[in-house]
Amino acid sequence: MKHESIGEAGVERGQRPLFTLSGVKKTFDSNLVLDGIDFELQPGEIHALVGENGAGKSTCLGLLYGLHQPTDGTLQRNGHTVRIESPSHAQELGIGCVFQELSLAGGLSVAENIFAGRAPSRFGVVDWPELRRRAEDLLAEFDLSINVSQPVDSLPISTRQIVEIAKAISMDSQVLLLDEPTSALTPDEVDALFKVLRKLTAKGIGIVYVSHHMTEIFTIADRISVLRDGKKISTTQTSHTSQAQVVSEMIGGAHPGDVERSDDQLGDVVLKVEHLSNEVHFADVSFEVRSGEILGIAGLLGSKRSEIMRSLVGLMHGYSGAIIMHGQSTSFRSLRDAMRANIGYVPEERKTEGLFLEDTLYNNLAAASLDNHTRLGLVQKSSVIAACENAIKAFSVKTRGPEEIIGSLSGGNQQKIMLAKWLERAPDLLIIEEPTKGVDVGAKFQIHTELQRRAADGMAIIVVSSDFPELVSLSTRILVVHEGRVMGDIAAHDATEDSLLQMAAGISNTSRQTTEIPREGKAQ
Amino acid sequence: MSMAINGDQVVKKKPMQRFLRAFIDIRELTLLFMIAIIIIVMANLNPYFLSFSNFRALSVGMAPTAIIVIGMAILLASGGFDLSVGSVMALSSTVVAMMMLAGFSIPVSVACSLVLGAAVGFSNGMLITGLGINPLIATLGTMSIARGIALVLTEGFSLSSLPKEFGWIGKASIGGFPVLVLLTLFLILIFDLAVRHTRFFRQVYFIGANEKAAMLSGIHVGRVRIIAYAITGVLAALAGVLLASRLMSGTPTAGNGIELQVLAAAVIGGASLRGGEGTILGAFLGVVFVALINNSMTMLAVSIYWQMIVIGAVLVCAVALDMLIRGRRG
Repeated sequence: MKHESIGEAGVERGQRPLFTLSGVKKTFDSNLVLDGIDFELQPGEIHALVGENGAGKSTCLGLLYGLHQPTDGTLQRNGHTVRIESPSHAQELGIGCVFQELSLAGGLSVAENIFAGRAPSRFGVVDWPELRRRAEDLLAEFDLSINVSQPVDSLPISTRQIVEIAKAISMDSQVLLLDEPTSALTPDEVDALFKVLRKLTAKGIGIVYVSHHMTEIFTIADRISVLRDGKKISTTQTSHTSQAQVVSEMIGGAHPGDVERSDDQLGDVVLKVEHLSNEVHFADVSFEVRSGEILGIAGLLGSKRSEIMRSLVGLMHGYSGAIIMHGQSTSFRSLRDAMRANIGYVPEERKTEGLFLEDTLYNNLAAASLDNHTRLGLVQKSSVIAACENAIKAFSVKTRGPEEIIGSLSGGNQQKIMLAKWLERAPDLLIIEEPTKGVDVGAKFQIHTELQRRAADGMAIIVVSSDFPELVSLSTRILVVHEGRVMGDIAAHDATEDSLLQMAAGISNTSRQTTEIPREGKAQ
Repeated sequence: MSMAINGDQVVKKKPMQRFLRAFIDIRELTLLFMIAIIIIVMANLNPYFLSFSNFRALSVGMAPTAIIVIGMAILLASGGFDLSVGSVMALSSTVVAMMMLAGFSIPVSVACSLVLGAAVGFSNGMLITGLGINPLIATLGTMSIARGIALVLTEGFSLSSLPKEFGWIGKASIGGFPVLVLLTLFLILIFDLAVRHTRFFRQVYFIGANEKAAMLSGIHVGRVRIIAYAITGVLAALAGVLLASRLMSGTPTAGNGIELQVLAAAVIGGASLRGGEGTILGAFLGVVFVALINNSMTMLAVSIYWQMIVIGAVLVCAVALDMLIRGRRG
């Protein structure tokens, strides 16, 4: 409580920073990733670190959390030059980190995860009641009351992310590094998180906040530093800059602007869905997609949008209603079946469902279209490589070439390859979930442009996203789902982020008659 | 209040369903049930089955496996495993015998062979965490090396005429119960509690469930792994010493193939090669279950070859059943 007076005022007074990076350089295999970065964090400050993927943000965080050591330059903690050797060393120095990739052990309980390796114990024996009590106290700060003894596996992604953040806070760190902490959170949860962050800064804790969400950054950050290609471009007080300014600094001058919406006339109906219902997940879902159309599906986590899509492509079974593809009623027994009918499906989780992270770019690209590259039963490597080089060019993928291991690319570049993998098959209907999740503005722009170009060429595309501004700018029509029911089907130019949000949260009154489906527990 | 989410779902289910769920979820209960069934069926088929001498022979016979399964269960929980346990057992049984024949006292000989076991385990851990060699390859290598050393040292012969006092641990009884069995049960109990409740062993589960997450949480992954392999080495060596004491000879061919029996028993007992799960008690019950099936078949005069088929089938069925149940839940 004694630090209460420190806040933004502290930043202006210029007291001793929590840490300072001066002239920090970092090379990986002779690749210069950070080129003379100066960066500091004041007590009580939220300092946003922004930049395109590959700009060096993750490497910066890695240096501070002991995952890498600088090649050149110094890192000072409380005025002392230090070399952070490992995450446990960073924790000893009072630095905690929340990673974009969840770092939880699925089978273990929430409480154990929060205090991983640091459980309260006497003579090495864990004090379980104390552990549970502390975990509950921490989660209460987020207004989250869950059973802390249940395994993390049983929680929805957004709750896991909160557990992850609680874990970093539990270390009593003075410095908190947050890498895309809100990527899986609903707007309400983001608000709760921000409340907690403000409580922490009031105690004098400094926070480095890495995010792609400009609105969030401008809501929460005191200062913003922009990185581009391993160099720091600027550090500004948030009040002295604008979103447009920051974005243009990130991408180096050129404004991507809004993607142009093509209002060409649409072709024939490619897919028609009638009264699709599944006993548990969704009920009475009807819609159609035409050739040349981009249909947006707006839904929050738990809206069962993925279950609907998975039923369409043969990954989920047990539904009633009709799926009509090119005028013929069909029902796919497997994804393979759906692929034969020329449907492409890009899943939501690129790390676990979409890519072979330890394989090369070209093998990833060809994984869904090996038939196209096979002659006499043998895969033609040269043909695959050529296709891969085309994709790299079309999407301006930042890579050393087709032979690179895909796991070493940034998220945005991985996403581009994952999309290219399915475009390679030139499907009649492409279903894509969260096309730009955790992707920077530049890559987002390229992905949107490519999707619109394909639609203009006559592909029917269904985009499922919880990024509503994206849906508004990208789609022709938007279908809003809430708890497995269609809440609205509106033309994109009539939609606003707000109206979509309200419908997706189930607030709006629609004219649609929908049957009540059995609701599951919230934990689903 | 904090039960809000789980509470809703649990209340809806009938008590009977809840009981069944818990029964299937807790592998130890399932196994105890199966063990009870075998015992009841066998008691009716062969009256000798329930006799004290049969149980005595059975429990003494499975003691080495039960001791080794402790280490294997810990390693499986950490996402690793160790194929060298059988060889370490043979090596320690020959080394303890040779040292005593060379005139060293019993405690010194026993201590040296336990240290040797720790050293082999430590090397396994170093190969796996330090050099990043896959556990299968690393321990396959040390398995061959340790067995080779045991054979070289003895030129393939068993070493007998050991000091009489050495036979005490392996042969003595307290109140009719073999010391060997009591010691085994004691170790199982201690390790089961330790793995459930101590901070060190809880880290093992983190590493097994998500190694990267464990590292990012500040857990010394390498150190914990190496210690786990060393513990396994010591336990395997202890099993070797106890076997030598019971047989009154050091046998370089002891424990041949035991590594796979132990792995199978641990997996039947709820451990998984994916890591992050399993308990010591479960693994122990897995050993008991397999031993009982073997014993029953022997009593029913089923050929030893058929026994192999049955054990293999039991292993696959146990895992398949588990996958089916989990799959339906997920």
